[in-house]
Amino acid sequence: MKTNAGSSRRQWLRQFGCGFGTLALADLLARESVAANSSDRAANPFAVLPPHFVPKARRIIFLYMPGGPSHVDLLDPKPRLEVDNGKPLPFEKPKLERTKTGNLLASPWKFARHGESGTEVSELLPGLASRIDDVCVIRSMVADNINHSGAALQMCTGEQAFSRPSMGSWLTYGLGTENQNLPGFVVVCPAPVFQGAQLWASSFLPSAYQGTLVRDLKEPIANLGGASAGTDRQRGKLDALKKLNELHRQNRAQNSQLDARISSFELAFQMQRAAPEAFDLSAETAATHKLYGTDRPESELFGRQCLLARRLVERGVRFVQLFDAPTNNVWDHHGGLRENLPKRCQAVDQPIAALLTDLKSRGLLEDTLVLWGGEFGRTPTAEGNNGREHHPFGFTMWLAGGGVRGGMTHGATDEFGWHSVENKVHVHDLHATILHLMGLDHERLTFRFGGRDYRLTDVHGTVVKEILA
Amino acid sequence: MKDRLPQLLIPLALLGGLSWLSSAMVEADEFSARQLEQFEKQIRPLLLEQCAKCHGRDKQEGGLSLSTRESLLKGGDSGPALVPGKPAESLLIKAVDYLDEPKMPPTGKLPPEKIALLRQWIESGAAWPQNSSLGGGEQSPGDFRVTEKQKQWWAFQPIQDPAVPAVRNVDWPRNELDRFILGKLESAGLSPAPAADRIAWLRRVTYDLTGLPPTPEEVDAFVSDRTERAAEAVVERLLNSQAYGQHWARHWLDVVRYADYHDFNPKLRVASCEITEAWRYRDWVVDAFNRDLPFDQFIVHQIAGDRLPSPSGEEIYPDGLIATTFLSNGVWDRGDADKEKIVSDMADDNIAVIGKAFLGLTLECARCHDHKFDPIATEDYYGLAGIFYSSHILKELGTKGGEYNVNRVPLIGPTALAKRAEQEKRLADINAALAEQDRLHRLQELTAGGSPLVPSAVKSEAGAVAMVGDDAAILFSGNLAKDTYLLEAVVPDSIRVRYLRLEALPDAVLPAGGPGRADDGNFVVSRFSASFVPPDGKTESTPIKFVAAQADFEQANFAAKSSLDDDPKDGWAVSPQIGKPHVAVFEIASDTAIPAGSRLIVSIEQRHADKHALGKLRLSVAETLPTSAPPDTPQRRDLIANRDRLQQELSVPVPLAMAVTDGGTPGGLFPGIQDVPIHIRGSYARLGPVVPRRLPQFLAGENQTAIARGSGRPELAAWVASPHNPLTARVIVNRVWHWHFGEGLVRTPSNFGMLSEPPSHPELLDWLTTRFIEDGWSLKKLHQRIVSSATYRQSSRVSQQAFDVDPENKLIGRFAPRRLEAEAIRDTILLANGQLDPACGGPAGDDFTIRRRSLYVQTARWQRDSYANLFDAANPDASTERRVTSTVAPQALLLLNHPWVHEQARHFAERLERDVPQNDAERIGRAYQLLFGRRPNDVELAIAQAVVASGGWHDLAHVLLCSNELIYID
Repeated sequence: MKTNAGSSRRQWLRQFGCGFGTLALADLLARESVAANSSDRAANPFAVLPPHFVPKARRIIFLYMPGGPSHVDLLDPKPRLEVDNGKPLPFEKPKLERTKTGNLLASPWKFARHGESGTEVSELLPGLASRIDDVCVIRSMVADNINHSGAALQMCTGEQAFSRPSMGSWLTYGLGTENQNLPGFVVVCPAPVFQGAQLWASSFLPSAYQGTLVRDLKEPIANLGGASAGTDRQRGKLDALKKLNELHRQNRAQNSQLDARISSFELAFQMQRAAPEAFDLSAETAATHKLYGTDRPESELFGRQCLLARRLVERGVRFVQLFDAPTNNVWDHHGGLRENLPKRCQAVDQPIAALLTDLKSRGLLEDTLVLWGGEFGRTPTAEGNNGREHHPFGFTMWLAGGGVRGGMTHGATDEFGWHSVENKVHVHDLHATILHLMGLDHERLTFRFGGRDYRLTDVHGTVVKEILA
Repeated sequence: MKDRLPQLLIPLALLGGLSWLSSAMVEADEFSARQLEQFEKQIRPLLLEQCAKCHGRDKQEGGLSLSTRESLLKGGDSGPALVPGKPAESLLIKAVDYLDEPKMPPTGKLPPEKIALLRQWIESGAAWPQNSSLGGGEQSPGDFRVTEKQKQWWAFQPIQDPAVPAVRNVDWPRNELDRFILGKLESAGLSPAPAADRIAWLRRVTYDLTGLPPTPEEVDAFVSDRTERAAEAVVERLLNSQAYGQHWARHWLDVVRYADYHDFNPKLRVASCEITEAWRYRDWVVDAFNRDLPFDQFIVHQIAGDRLPSPSGEEIYPDGLIATTFLSNGVWDRGDADKEKIVSDMADDNIAVIGKAFLGLTLECARCHDHKFDPIATEDYYGLAGIFYSSHILKELGTKGGEYNVNRVPLIGPTALAKRAEQEKRLADINAALAEQDRLHRLQELTAGGSPLVPSAVKSEAGAVAMVGDDAAILFSGNLAKDTYLLEAVVPDSIRVRYLRLEALPDAVLPAGGPGRADDGNFVVSRFSASFVPPDGKTESTPIKFVAAQADFEQANFAAKSSLDDDPKDGWAVSPQIGKPHVAVFEIASDTAIPAGSRLIVSIEQRHADKHALGKLRLSVAETLPTSAPPDTPQRRDLIANRDRLQQELSVPVPLAMAVTDGGTPGGLFPGIQDVPIHIRGSYARLGPVVPRRLPQFLAGENQTAIARGSGRPELAAWVASPHNPLTARVIVNRVWHWHFGEGLVRTPSNFGMLSEPPSHPELLDWLTTRFIEDGWSLKKLHQRIVSSATYRQSSRVSQQAFDVDPENKLIGRFAPRRLEAEAIRDTILLANGQLDPACGGPAGDDFTIRRRSLYVQTARWQRDSYANLFDAANPDASTERRVTSTVAPQALLLLNHPWVHEQARHFAERLERDVPQNDAERIGRAYQLLFGRRPNDVELAIAQAVVASGGWHDLAHVLLCSNELIYID
């Protein structure tokens, strides 16, 4: 990375701060795709790049619930299910099914209206209910795959079967990141989940853009050096290394990679200090910990994840993706719905509410996009007598902050919660919208690979204008 | 391309089923690929979205249709809608500008940037791809036409043998190749860079051919050898080293999306669907490079090696089978519930990798629609797809949602397999004979001594009739049901009772000879219990506690011990040892003393099933049981010797390969050899007309011999590997050039289609390709030709002025410096410190901290955070034509802090101390020679000495391992 990466960033931010309109206008028609080949990029893949137009959001926290949370039990109430509880679905089911479709199953939980918006939220999510006026609930999501692997891949990369760059990879490729001392795309996933690393892979984008995986919050980033980091002895070695590298560079002036590598060691030296500081949750007050629920065993893990997410976005990390994964696929409630769904909600609800509260009080929510959901929802029909199957045909996700209208619902499923029927939002549309909020045109954020230009949204995607603030 | 079509679903719905495409369509050959791309990306979607509903095939408001360029030119009632080059005169622009009636679209004016796009498009000539109507849509066979421009495309022309150009500077060229390079440089008024110094060249060529640095001894030898042949000898030595194949195999593995495993965690790997035999392919590739297997043969092996006869006349040809792992080690979703989709994805993966790796074509783009740029029709695709739908890659389709089974083929022939089966049978027979001997011996011991109990009363709860014989045996007949036998007997006074024995005895009257009454002669004693009443007449009945149970024979899962618990499901049973006497012995707890003369009450419950009662039994008691080894007879010794020998012979498992054979996917829609229908938009759920298995028509010709037998892979392989195929040989020659110079003569090594950049030196490419074919497709001869050239010998260090003239080095007037690949960085460190384990081949190691070459560290599809990934190794999820080079802080962090690096620094420091025990300056010199092939200058020496003074040799070793000079090659 270039030594002047920091100053070029500041330079850009200055430009960004005052002259954005000009920049955006000039950029509007001329720019084919992000200037990935610019020499600045070659030296520092994370150099901040201007977006296509004025962004509403500068960073994203994606709260991912692997397994598929049940929309009809959480955010999409269906009184009709109570009326028809135990009866078969009164219309022909989609051909795609994994197991024999059972009869309709009423939600065991009550819904009530909350906030000024009066959005209905299940009693399982009191924390979210308290923040609901900041939240835009999309009740008409659709995805294309009925299995975890394909659906999760689609939610995170846009493609169900083949390897493609993940959302976070596209964003760091397209925008760079604002804190050069931290990775631009951090994934916190305590246990392996289906498809694992493919969900945050850079695929054919340079590997620098892949998500940095944090499994263990105690040892978040590899090779930070522990006790030897930042010592005089290490500094001495780095100084000698720099001297030797500078001698080597003589007469090789055209090879900019040599400079970039000299800088990368200096940057690494800085990261050794910056990263542990960013990941150190003990720096937070007891009150903050209590807010996030890290003092309660049921919400401790996700509470820590959420608190970490806030610390990271606060420090300029572009994309943070949290997996609620104490073990694999904990939201996959084929059985034990009545016992396990409340457990999951207890694990995540308070931390999520705290995250929204905390971001807002710090003024970060207005340009931080928070996104919640899984790869699909669950059937309004029963699997066994206490479970629900996978359901990509109509499900719920929500967004908050970063240019999204709070206190609204968008779209609807039919009266049984089966098909998305009103203002359908496909995963590609969601992706297009997210990129839009980040100031990127999903059709112009492209990368040429194997003879064609690829995009996050493939050849699809329409920005959901109705939810923009 | 491949995935672009679904967008066109929308207009289809709008326009209704259309079939268009008049043959009178305007020739549109003059449009550049870039223009056409712009049309695809910006104009087509815009027209579809905004106009097609009212001006499409079905509906032409105002007589205007926008479905083809021609129809736009023709226009509607108001006249031509489009005047190419003249937006101001085009009605289309007038309408969308809302300047005059009609204002279009009527629902609202388009945003200004969209109008600007339309204007720009018309201004630049209104590019529109030939044979394409607005909606794309359903193509019926025959719609596809090859354009003149495609017909003329350089890569589809026969390979020429151009004359070697004349040059002015006749002293510079070292071989003909150089004259092509020099000719171009001279035409541009440039001259080549000066030659690199000898050490730079030696390091370059050694890394280039082997992925390893030259040793100090090799450097000395070359520097001091001033003969003409010195360089030639080096190249020969390198090409003949094992390391050559190991390094060049890795290049090829990038191209073929090679992985060792899906899961990097050995504990989590699922044996049935893991690609555990992938390494055999890797080893075969190494071997093929090392013995310079002609590249055309190399191709044929990978596409159809299973159909090749063994060159040595053996029954099977293991290398041929192994080579087809090229096809089976592909990328498709292993656990997809939609198994039929997997089959179509597998065929697609195979078509894609063959297209990219060998032909330099994106054949897979034609999966859903005719190729948008290259002359490949959807029909061509499904002609090829039939070949792979007729190939057997998975064992079977598998269950919905379940993971699939990789098909594995034995690498030993039918004779050896039959011999093995026979050995296995013999071993089973011997084991059975030994077991029977053991059983008889055990029966004998368990029934030895003691004394039988003559029953004083016998009762069957189910009402069976008991008959007691002279030998105290009791035979049951009559009613048969779930039953409990209650037997009473008096304990003989001659014996201290430690064991209670239940003999199950055969009898001719019982079914199958007994001892049970079930139809097959079996029984199940589900619970065995007993109590005693001492003769004193005062004490009550006391239950007997049993601590153990054994039998001469126990049916699997029906041990005698399980008759001591209350579970009626299990118990003691003896199938298949029917018709023989058996015994179960129950050991009484040591604290239970049964006085002589006591009355014993024994309960035998048989509640497992209705018929599984004992037919004939006898009870006895014993004080001791003899234990001895079975008698050591010569016959037994013989059996044991035979058993051991057979076990030894069979202990080596049958070697397996993930080979592909003929036949489809059992259990699926395409289970055998068959042609397949066009999958409309790539979906198996919408099938169109069947296409016979065949090769792409434009490329392979109209008059192809029909594929009469088998999948057609041999026919495909023969065409791909033909010297007359204009693509294949050019593609590999260009790849080799790319790997030597960092850039190919064609800079898109896996794409020679219409979207690629034409070659910088087309004559040179053809000249080299012609020589390559003449040389019998020998890669080693191609390497020799390239690395012995003056072009390859040029220095990478040129003046800024010389650099600025040709910054991209398109004319190859210098050598492009490069960073070592992930593998070479690690291998260099291991070699320099004397730790590199030279072992070759076999399954990959799990972690980069092993000591073998990086080629043998696993590449796992599901791993993204490995050492190799960090340093830009190829992603095995897709064919990789070139690696990117990233320079990021996490790489520096690994080199600064990873324990492995510190360990290597320690090894290196220790080696230096061993090599040069005394003199510090000499020792530093040794370090420089080992790592950089040269001695340090005084400034470097001083810096190094300062590091040693403050941090010791370990710190110096560490600094040098991190240095730029180690990983950047001039």
